Amino acid sequence: MTAVTATPAHQEAGAIRAALPQLAPFLGILALAVMLPFISNDYWALIGTRAAIYWVLVSGLNLVVGFAGHLAIGYVALLTLGAYTTSVLVAGNVLPPVPVFAALPVAAIVGAMFGVIVGLPALRLRTFYFAMSTLGFATIVTQIALAWQSVTGGGIGISGPEFPAPFNTAWGFYFLCTAFAAFTTWMSANIARSRFGRALIAVRDAEVAAEATGISKPKMLIAIFLFAGALAAIAGGLFASLQTYITPDAFTFDLSVLFFIAILIGGRGSILGPMLGTIILTILPEIAAPLAAWSTFLYAVLLLVIVLVMPGGIAALLDFRNRRPLASNRAILPRPAALADIVRQRAGGSALALRDISLSFGNVRAIDRLDLDVAPGQIHGLIGPNGSGKTSTLNVISGYYAARAGTMTLGDAALPPGMPALRAARGIARTFQTPRVIGEASVLQNVMIGGTIEGRASFVEAMLSLPRNRQDERMLAAKARGLLGVVGLEPLADVRADRLQHSELRFIEIARALMLDPDFLLLDEPAAGLSSDEIERLAGLIKAISGRGTGVLLVEHHADLIFDICHQVTVLNLGRTLAAGTPAEIRVHKEVVSAYLGG
Amino acid sequence: MLASILASGLAAGAIYALVGVTYNTMFSTSRVMSFTAGQLAMLGGVFGSMFTLKLGMPIVVGLLLTLIGCAIIGIITEFVAVRPVLKSLDQHLYVLSTLALALMIQQVAAIKWGTEPQPFPRLIGLGSGVFDEKFWLPVVACAITILGLEYLYRRTLVGRAFVAIAEDNFAARALGLPERNLRVASYALAGVVGGIAGFSGGELLLAFFANGALLNFYGFVPVALGGLGNNRGAVVGGLALGLFQQAANFLVGGIFSSVAVFALFIVVLLAAPQGLFGASTARRV
Amino acid sequence: MAISRRDVILGSAGALGAATFSFPKPAIAQTEPIKIGCLAAMTGPSSAPTIGFNRGVYFAADAINAAGGVKGRKLEIVMRDTQGDPTKAVNATQELISQAKVHGIWGPLNSGEALATTPIMARAKIPNIHPCVVETLIDTTKFPNAFRMAPSNSQWDDAVRNYCLNILKVKKIAVIGDTTGYGVTAVGASVAAFKKDGADVVYQANIDATQPDMTPDLLRAKNAGAEVIVVWSVTTGMEARMFNTRAAMNWDVAFVGHPSLSSGEIAGLVEKPANWEKVYAIGYKSVSYDGAGKLPAKTQDLVDRLAKAKVAMNDTLLWWIAGGIDAIELFAKGVETSGSTEGPGIVAYLNSLSKYPGYFGDYTFNPTQHNGYPTDEIVMSQASTARNGTFALAPGYT
Repeated sequence: MTAVTATPAHQEAGAIRAALPQLAPFLGILALAVMLPFISNDYWALIGTRAAIYWVLVSGLNLVVGFAGHLAIGYVALLTLGAYTTSVLVAGNVLPPVPVFAALPVAAIVGAMFGVIVGLPALRLRTFYFAMSTLGFATIVTQIALAWQSVTGGGIGISGPEFPAPFNTAWGFYFLCTAFAAFTTWMSANIARSRFGRALIAVRDAEVAAEATGISKPKMLIAIFLFAGALAAIAGGLFASLQTYITPDAFTFDLSVLFFIAILIGGRGSILGPMLGTIILTILPEIAAPLAAWSTFLYAVLLLVIVLVMPGGIAALLDFRNRRPLASNRAILPRPAALADIVRQRAGGSALALRDISLSFGNVRAIDRLDLDVAPGQIHGLIGPNGSGKTSTLNVISGYYAARAGTMTLGDAALPPGMPALRAARGIARTFQTPRVIGEASVLQNVMIGGTIEGRASFVEAMLSLPRNRQDERMLAAKARGLLGVVGLEPLADVRADRLQHSELRFIEIARALMLDPDFLLLDEPAAGLSSDEIERLAGLIKAISGRGTGVLLVEHHADLIFDICHQVTVLNLGRTLAAGTPAEIRVHKEVVSAYLGG
Repeated sequence: MLASILASGLAAGAIYALVGVTYNTMFSTSRVMSFTAGQLAMLGGVFGSMFTLKLGMPIVVGLLLTLIGCAIIGIITEFVAVRPVLKSLDQHLYVLSTLALALMIQQVAAIKWGTEPQPFPRLIGLGSGVFDEKFWLPVVACAITILGLEYLYRRTLVGRAFVAIAEDNFAARALGLPERNLRVASYALAGVVGGIAGFSGGELLLAFFANGALLNFYGFVPVALGGLGNNRGAVVGGLALGLFQQAANFLVGGIFSSVAVFALFIVVLLAAPQGLFGASTARRV
Repeated sequence: MAISRRDVILGSAGALGAATFSFPKPAIAQTEPIKIGCLAAMTGPSSAPTIGFNRGVYFAADAINAAGGVKGRKLEIVMRDTQGDPTKAVNATQELISQAKVHGIWGPLNSGEALATTPIMARAKIPNIHPCVVETLIDTTKFPNAFRMAPSNSQWDDAVRNYCLNILKVKKIAVIGDTTGYGVTAVGASVAAFKKDGADVVYQANIDATQPDMTPDLLRAKNAGAEVIVVWSVTTGMEARMFNTRAAMNWDVAFVGHPSLSSGEIAGLVEKPANWEKVYAIGYKSVSYDGAGKLPAKTQDLVDRLAKAKVAMNDTLLWWIAGGIDAIELFAKGVETSGSTEGPGIVAYLNSLSKYPGYFGDYTFNPTQHNGYPTDEIVMSQASTARNGTFALAPGYT
């Protein structure tokens, strides 16, 4: 356990040093923001304030669009909502007038609630559908603002809230909004760097793998919709104050497009990029005033160019680290012995048992009355020709398919059919036939995703970077680094995963699965595409894993590997058990030899 | 009163249905939902008005040129916004690229054509009151288009190739079908369908740049209701939407009718994400 | 200009922390141009009036400059396109004030923009003349710098009501607007005022401007027994649809209301010219011709001058051009009379006006009344009779 509990103080200092290059641009922008009053006039105060307010909204929306990958193009709806809520509360149209600093939190709560309502369709709807539904919300909110004249003032609108001194001057308000912007940057960065931020990207880019690690998509999404909604509403309150007066026609679709495009220009999964994008898009129409009529057209061209030519956005341009070439002759050198430092030693434990499992797709029987037992500390091979039901069996165990009949038990407890996101908590981890890793995240982050459910800090703790979250992060990072050492990928920890070779991705998946310290590990053709050297090292690794007491279910085509390391082998054909026994028994089993081993 | 709700509801519904078919036609060969569908219908009206009124061409020539113009815009959509992002379909970049193109089309129309609705010529001059041609023309156009498409898909070689690609892109390519050319053709066809929607609905909706965004949404609702790629579902959904919307206009008034339409849209989508006539999704793992 | 701005920047950079000191004005100010900022929606959906106003603005500025300027100082028009977007208008206003350092601002017209920019101009105490109809924009305590040289919405409302009740002598009124902010508010105000005057509002509605068919609403108005339909909308497409529907229903009810009922685009949108008859739009005596086709003498003179300067009048309204001219001339006179470009001087000049003879109307302002346009100048005109941006008086006027 030494690697996990390495001295925090030393690590903290190291972490700050490591984070400095990433922190520097933000500090630079902040320094420029603080200098602005000394080099310009009230006009630039206004533009600066506007950029800060837009960023308050975009920093939240960025988690929805850039991290979770949901194309919310109608977020002006929440800006409108926040602007009206704040203004109406301060004006006292419904309740007695409220001071603006009390109205803003109320607006944030209302915004958070509506953020979930606007976002809810994302749980069920696919991309284009979701984009359309947010667009619809944007129209509706304006219509309601128009119609609800007694409260919103209808078309004549309502005065924006006025802030008390010292925030009632152009520069006072500018600094207030800049402070808000800095604070939301910090919060959204905290979320992005926590296990919640990684989980969002995992749901976006590898949803199936995310489920297998126990990440609950609805919970994740609701948390960020609350967050983004609250920030958008606060931005709305500030926006209303900046505008001095709001009418429904101030909340144009162009504004929504600006927020959305700022994120995409900035680049997915980045915070600096969208921030620069927001600043650029706020200033661009001002310095290109003669082109005012064409500003939306320019945004659109920019969007198209970004999508077609530079899908990574500004963030990819600034990502110098990942342009350094990787060594081409690198080898994967696992150190299975190091497993002892990270994975606990199990003694005994309960077995995973399948009884009478059947599964069909339409009229095709994928699995037909299958019995299977995987004992702790044993390696159980599952072989058979293509279409014999091997992967289907794994999918039934990990809950992606609900079996039509039969039971699954883990020890004495039943394993409910379906519900893949609950398997990780039961100690079952798996890898996939085609590796499902997040290309845009680093190798280390990919592995850390495996431990998401081990974190104890809540979303709010992560948002505010409270001690428990920092502990989680240290624990997960140390464990992930340790496991990368075990699978032999430690030197590549900080490299983007999409730059790796196929065989390396397979080992990342194993490391990710081990993050759970699983009782059972399901490996789906881990040797496919590996060289013979690599297969040999893989065999050593798998043996070491089972040596810690973990039961391994190994689906494989490489007969040599199966016979070399398995304690038990089950041979499937057409969804049925053709033979089961020790490798030695299977090797001489007549039907197996003639049907499958071809000997 | 009922007659006028029926007339305008069916007319608007037929236009929505045609835009829905435009969505479906593009989707069938490329698995892409394009934001340009509504813009194509808007251009149908704008081009029609431009050729026949501004340039004074005969109606038939104007129609022909309008459809050619829309087909070209459809092909441009394929080349600019669809083809480059097809290889990474799972990243859904098409949502962004087609949105960008749609915004560009709308903005150019607004600046070059003007931001006020402009007149559209009377095409035949037949009927009055609830039987005015502006009400029944879109319905007739919709019926003819649907019958034409059915004929194309069932009886012609090209149409069958479309269907083959729509059902299994991979297998169709393996059979040696010229998938890329067929896709371009389907985008041209989608342009024509959109053009028909805009042209036949021109008298009702006028030649107005903002119709694009409007039809984008109202044309998408039938697709969502009827299920992706299901033209018959789109027609049923479109007509239902048109009638519902006009009835809501009548019953609750202008402001709340769009709220009503949207509420219906969200409720149906949440209850039946695949649409009322849609099939379930493919395997995930 | 770039140099002087940089000087300002260097100056304030040198005075870190002392930004509140104001530096003495340079003595050379007397030869600098008089800068008038214009907030104009030149592109976008509601750009038609601005295009008309701008012709007047540039015509007036050119005329004054050609005559040697104001006490030797040239007028400089600083035009900013706001596209009708309140957000862009706020940015442009602050830019005109802080960066371009204009001496007065003309506009904006669009209500959403005006509501947002007026407090900003008040904060900077910059003289502002605008033609926006929204009632609350004129408030001499909150916005002592803002002057309206056009009718307010209630003045329009009064004129329309007066025409319906006293000239057409009808009692059963239908009020229809679009679903924009303006339409919703104007319908509400109009209905309330009609009811106060004892009229019977039998039908009221806000219609989505994109609604393809107006039959349901007009049918309901007809069934309710409406004798006149009052329209508050700026959407010509919707208005033309209503005219066509009225014809299809064989109903001879009169439409009375917003000036846009007489907008030139409607000519192309009505199915036949007759559909546009019996439509009476708000107009002004100064820009209306009588039964003999004659304009008031002063206006005829202006039309001749505009024609000589080749200013197009056939695709816009004459009152827009006249209003633009009046606004610029008021600023110029303000500088001339007060002897400087300082805001308080111009504001004091405007406050002293009594029946100032402009082309569009006679303006009267005093420190507690900044609604400068006389209500009795507002009349109804026959919507389809446009001639060089002027209209024939509606029946009933002498």
